[in-house]
Amino acid sequence: MATTLTQSQPLPIPITWAKNLPTLGEALRAVIPLISSLLLALPACAQSLDDLNIQIHGFAVQGFLYTTSNNIFSTNSSDGSPAWTEDVLNISAQPIPKLSVAVQGRYFLLGSMANGINIDYAAADYKVNDRFGVRFGKVKTPSGLYNETQDVSPSYLWALLPQSIYLIGSRNSQLAHYGAVTYGTLDCGSRLGKLEYRAWAGARVIGGDDSYFQDLREASVEVPSGTSGTVSGIALHWLTPLRGLTLGASDSENQSTTARVIYDPNGALGTLTTTNNQPDFFARFERKRVLIAAEYDHAHTGLTFKFPSFPSESYPFDVKPWFVMASYRLTHKLNLGAYRSYTLDRDKPQGNGRFVRDWTISSRYDFNGYLYAKAEEHFITGTLVEFDQDHNPSGLKPSTQLTVLKIGVSF
Amino acid sequence: MKPIARTLACLACALIAPSIRAQAHGQIIVIANPTLRAVTASKSEIREVFTGATSTLKGGSRVTPVLLKSSSVTDEFLAQYLDEADATFRTRWRTLVFSGQSTMPRSVDTEAAVVTYVAHNPGAIGYITRTTPHEGVKVLVQR
Repeated sequence: MATTLTQSQPLPIPITWAKNLPTLGEALRAVIPLISSLLLALPACAQSLDDLNIQIHGFAVQGFLYTTSNNIFSTNSSDGSPAWTEDVLNISAQPIPKLSVAVQGRYFLLGSMANGINIDYAAADYKVNDRFGVRFGKVKTPSGLYNETQDVSPSYLWALLPQSIYLIGSRNSQLAHYGAVTYGTLDCGSRLGKLEYRAWAGARVIGGDDSYFQDLREASVEVPSGTSGTVSGIALHWLTPLRGLTLGASDSENQSTTARVIYDPNGALGTLTTTNNQPDFFARFERKRVLIAAEYDHAHTGLTFKFPSFPSESYPFDVKPWFVMASYRLTHKLNLGAYRSYTLDRDKPQGNGRFVRDWTISSRYDFNGYLYAKAEEHFITGTLVEFDQDHNPSGLKPSTQLTVLKIGVSF
Repeated sequence: MKPIARTLACLACALIAPSIRAQAHGQIIVIANPTLRAVTASKSEIREVFTGATSTLKGGSRVTPVLLKSSSVTDEFLAQYLDEADATFRTRWRTLVFSGQSTMPRSVDTEAAVVTYVAHNPGAIGYITRTTPHEGVKVLVQR
């Protein structure tokens, strides 16, 4: 059985405790109503609503995609597609300086990859001091340079972050987990700068209809009950004495088991175990109007299928994506930039399906503190990621030019 | 007024205007709750507190920033201490909010409200113009 699964997506993962996983997933998902209830109950405990510093923020984004040849992100982009919408609402409260509670929901539409409402995070955050704090609940996973902010469009110049590392189709699988994150900043003195650390552990639960399984579906493998498994990792950001320069690394481990896998052609029922280890290295320099950043990732992923009466089959993936980006803020309102990103899967056969190379030029204009627009042009060669078979039935062309227009509002 | 006098007057205004603005910059003061141990703070400490990078001043004083809603005073404060525009500043905070890393500091409508909040909340730190009455708070001297 061959799959077209591509790497940097953290793949479904372990097997031995498969029977317990749905229960684990359900238990962990109970965290969301718990945190939400806590948020709703806080007013009853406070002297006044004003004491809680209750705040509501949000943003909305509408995107438009046009490609010169292949359809991208499961849209009909070669005809021009507006099928990219994101609406986010955040409610937070801070009853005491050390404690905050927040819930963030999102409506996300992207082609046929996503069309629904999800909870981005629902967490309580207790910050003892600058050196130690802990968040728990459904929390954002702080791996790499931009994982925590990759779905926060108002925060950066780009309409699309480099797809070599920050695949838009892997948001549910990469962005958050149920569990905890500890974090803090250690002051190493004026000669050494500061060291920020983040360590996380917990579980990741992905529903059966998630776009995460798109590649498996295309290989006739159905995963009706989704997958669930453990996730852990650590990230270090060294804020060097050179103001604006940050160097860092992170390492994350995922293991998950898909309890029920159906191989369509013959209806065989089996299990899928996935392991993923992802060391990541990054650098970022930001001072005044200039931003320069680079990131390199090395994803080792293994898939093991087990079907009764058949020997188990394993598929290793060894992918090394990277990107380099630079931007310059021309005025307070206009920001310009470019990046190059690259992904290569050495285990794939020679050809255009083995890699993706993307040269991108981008611009962002802020009309005011709330409203902005982005325009971006991608020159893509290779077809390794983000091109699905369903929307490209007559095959993929080796190169594509992608235009992305976005307008957004945040408050 | 004769044309030449008008021209000289305009030139004088153009020369004086920057110094008037510079004086306005100097009129922003950072105030804190009187129970705060710290009496001084460096510009970089203030910048880190108001960007969410730290919640502690040197010496261990824990602080909580309070913001004044968008205004010329806020613009002056941001230009003087953070060297950035209000829109950039708020985008930075929203990034922390939407990524689950922090909550937005409390914002109040007037300088008098900043003084009242800072006076009544241990650890609170804010900014106002020097001419705003500020009894009940301490002024942090810039190191």
